[in-house]
Amino acid sequence: MSASLRYLLLAMAFCILVCALAVVHLPASASGELPHVELQAESAGPRSMEDLTSKSVPRDYALAWQSMERALEENRAGLLDAYFTGFAKQDLTERVKSQIQSGLQTRYQDRGHKLDAVFYAPAGDAMQLRDRAQFDIQVLDGGKVIYEAPVSAQFIVLMTPGADRWLVRQIQAIPGEKP
Amino acid sequence: MRALTAILLVVGTAGISGAAEIHAPAQTTAGNAITIATSGSGDATFYLIGPASALKQKVQAGAGIPVDSGQLERAGRYVAVLCASDGCASTSFFVNPAAANRLSLLVHPSRVPVGRTNGISTVAFVFDNFHNLALKSEPVKFSILAKDAKEISANRDSENGVAWVRISSARKEGPVRIGAAIGHANEVRVVQQVAADACNLRIKASRVKNAFLVETDPVRDCSGNPVPDGTVVSFTKSDAGGKTTVDVPIKRGVARVEMPVEGGARISVASGVVTGNELEVAGGQ
Repeated sequence: MSASLRYLLLAMAFCILVCALAVVHLPASASGELPHVELQAESAGPRSMEDLTSKSVPRDYALAWQSMERALEENRAGLLDAYFTGFAKQDLTERVKSQIQSGLQTRYQDRGHKLDAVFYAPAGDAMQLRDRAQFDIQVLDGGKVIYEAPVSAQFIVLMTPGADRWLVRQIQAIPGEKP
Repeated sequence: MRALTAILLVVGTAGISGAAEIHAPAQTTAGNAITIATSGSGDATFYLIGPASALKQKVQAGAGIPVDSGQLERAGRYVAVLCASDGCASTSFFVNPAAANRLSLLVHPSRVPVGRTNGISTVAFVFDNFHNLALKSEPVKFSILAKDAKEISANRDSENGVAWVRISSARKEGPVRIGAAIGHANEVRVVQQVAADACNLRIKASRVKNAFLVETDPVRDCSGNPVPDGTVVSFTKSDAGGKTTVDVPIKRGVARVEMPVEGGARISVASGVVTGNELEVAGGQ
């Protein structure tokens, strides 16, 4: 094998490696990929979290964020119906309505969530979580970006079980990390 | 190249120094009005984006922008942006929950058997007047008021807006009022305590025409509470022909069934996991 062919193969392997790493670290976008959510369930109490619940909560929370990001980017409040309820749904619906009135959109580039379960009700009918989230946010007025920033935020989240999924009932950003 | 870099730096510095600026308090409390300070001059557009709102209005750069209390009712992160002809400036701030003054109470289950240790789960979510979770620790007073009994109460401090308590059901059936109170809020739920499983289930038989009428004594739980009507009691007859089971709901405290018997038979009774006595009867006698 000639030296030039060896170098060519080496370069191609390097390119494949770089592409694979890029794909792994590519953040989820609002329109497509599901946000990455990690759940620490060990600290939940007084009820310990069931295996099935510890799988469905991060899945449903990721789907809730995905639908919220789409709702705020596309200004479609109906997208909130599937994974939000109570005050969370009411507030986000208000936000979408006022975005429509003001001609604004909000675009998220989700970089992942670390969830800690802090309370799981004895009867299993409510769960409180703390989310350490990272995302890039853009606010657009008539398609023009008026604000963009990387955000590290903490949220206190209240979820309750619905017929076949966990729903976000309250999501409240709290000071802690850099706003 | 150096000259070009220098020109860009100068232009950039000039742009920065002339741009409008915006300053908000780092934190405020829900339902409080604030004024956001701005610098610069001329017409500008002000945006305020919060958890439940996205406001846009024309302002004059350089003047304070009053934000009324109604715009700041939801706790969370807010972004204020000022866009003038020379670009946009932004700042972010937090609105913290106001004082705790509302409760949401979850009590589960709504019917519980008597004598069930820690059988009632009671969780109180503490909110301010604007439905924000009040995260500061506050004492929540839980109270239990059973029929013909004195009120029992206990305080629990909320943690991240949640306080909870587990309550054992009483030995006597009937409704129990479970309440939680904080500030001006007082929420009450009623849990019905019902009889537990049947206890000392006993049957007797009497002859009627060609059959036996088999009936239970009044069905009660181990604390003497009558088991509710509708609870199913199973009568099983075993004879030479095999085994026959009849399920009968309790009516007016007892369950009864007519069972035809040919020759000798053994009749037993059960309700749920509880079994009662057995009778041996003989047909044609």
